[in-house]
Amino acid sequence: MSVELFKRLGWFVLLWVAQVLFLNHIHLFGMAMPLLYVYFPITFHRGTPKWETLLWSFVMGLAIDVASNTPGLAAASLTLVGMLQSYLLELFVPRDSAENLEVSVSTLGTGKFVVLAAVLLLIFCLVFFALESFNFFDWLYWLECAGTSTLLTLVLILAIESVRRT
Amino acid sequence: MRNLLDFLKDYYHWLLFIVLEVVSGVLLFRYNSYQNSAWLSSANAAVGKVYEMESGITTFFSMSRANEELTLRNFYLERQVNQLRRLYMDATQDTTVKMRQELHLLSKYRLIPAKVVSNSLSQPDNLITIDKGSSDGVEVDMGVACGNGVVGVVYLVGDHYSVVIPVLNRSMSRISCAIRNRGYFGYLTWDGRDPSVAFVEDIPRHAHFKRGEWIETSGYSTIFPPGVLVGKIEKVFNSADGLSYKLQVRLSTDFGCLRDVCVISDKSIAERVKLMEAARDSMNVYGK
Repeated sequence: MSVELFKRLGWFVLLWVAQVLFLNHIHLFGMAMPLLYVYFPITFHRGTPKWETLLWSFVMGLAIDVASNTPGLAAASLTLVGMLQSYLLELFVPRDSAENLEVSVSTLGTGKFVVLAAVLLLIFCLVFFALESFNFFDWLYWLECAGTSTLLTLVLILAIESVRRT
Repeated sequence: MRNLLDFLKDYYHWLLFIVLEVVSGVLLFRYNSYQNSAWLSSANAAVGKVYEMESGITTFFSMSRANEELTLRNFYLERQVNQLRRLYMDATQDTTVKMRQELHLLSKYRLIPAKVVSNSLSQPDNLITIDKGSSDGVEVDMGVACGNGVVGVVYLVGDHYSVVIPVLNRSMSRISCAIRNRGYFGYLTWDGRDPSVAFVEDIPRHAHFKRGEWIETSGYSTIFPPGVLVGKIEKVFNSADGLSYKLQVRLSTDFGCLRDVCVISDKSIAERVKLMEAARDSMNVYGK
C-alpha cells in the first residue's frame, strides 16, 4: 500500500514538474498544447476507490492551476476525467482480469489503451478549452485546440508507455 | 433513513465529485474579480521558489543576449541624452539644469529592480511572475517597465513574489499611452496573436502623425510616469465604429526574453488619487 502511495506521489511530482517547467511553454501552431498531466488519472488501477481517484485528480489539477495562474480550470476538467476513468476502464478490461489490473499498453493491449487514453484526453481537452475561452467563444478554434492537443498529448503518453515497457 | 444511508454509501463518490467540481467552479469564476488572494497563483511562495530556480538556470544561458541588447540600448540612450543636453544648453545657456532635473525626477519615483521568474507568450491572457513582493514595497497597480520599454501593471502581490498583467493580456491590459511630441492619447490593447505587436485605440480622427513615430506612456493614469517607451507605429486602421484611429504598434519590449524589470513606485499617486476622489465627491454634491 505504502509502496503504491510513494509510486503515485513520485509520478505526481514528476508530471507536475514536467508540465510546469517544460510543457507549459510549448504551444504548437498557436493551438496544440501538451497536457501530459492527464496521464496521471488515466493510469489509476482498476478497483482504486473512486473517492481516491477523484481527490488525486482534483489535487493534481489544482497544483497545475496554481503554477499556471488558472485557478479551477485544470482542477474542474481533471476531476471530470477522474470520475469517468473508472467507468470507461470497465468497458476496456478483458473478462476475468485481475481486480487491481494496471492500466498500461502491456496489460490492455495497444489498441484498447490508445482508445481509452484518446477518449479521456478528448473529453478533458474539450472541457478544458471550453472553460478557458469562456467569454470568447469561437467553436472552430475550440475544436482545433482540443483535437490537436489531444493528438499531441497522446503521442507523448505512448512515448512514455513504450519507455516504461522496456 | 436506512435507504438514504444505503444510497449515500453506494453513490457518495458522486457527491464528492459534485463538491470538487463546485470548488473548481468557484475558483474559476472568482479569479475574474480583482480582490482574490495571492495564494492560488504563482505569487505564492512555494511555486514562486520553483519558478525562481528554473529562471536562475535559464537566465544564465540567455545572459549574453540580454546583455548585448542592454548595451545597445544604453548606447542609444546615452547618445540621445547627450544630444538633448546639447540642444537644451544651446537654447538656454544653462549648464546646471540637467543635474537639477534628474534629481527632481528621481525623488518623485522609486524604482524597485526585480527579476522575471515565470513568463508566457502563448496564451490569450498571459501573466508574468516577478521575484519582488509586498515586503520589498511592491503594491497592486504599480507600473512595471524594463530597459526597452513598458511591461505591464502589478496585479497580485504576495510577500516575496508578485503577478504582473503584461501588455500581452487580451482581457485585462489597458495602458494609457500617447504619440511622442504630438500629445494625442489612446489606450494600448493586444489581440492575442503576435507577441511583438499591440494596438493603440481611441486616437482621435483629427490627429496628425506619421508611420514610424514613437508611442510612449501618457502619464495620465496613475500607473506610469509619462515618457516610458511603448513602441513604433507600424500601420493605421479605422476603428470599428469609424470614429477614431486604431494604430498597430511594434512593441519595443521583447517579451520573449524578459529578465530584468523594475517596478515603478510613484509617491505622488496617493495624493493624486485623493485629489481625484475629492473632485468626484464635490461633483456628486453639485449634481444633487
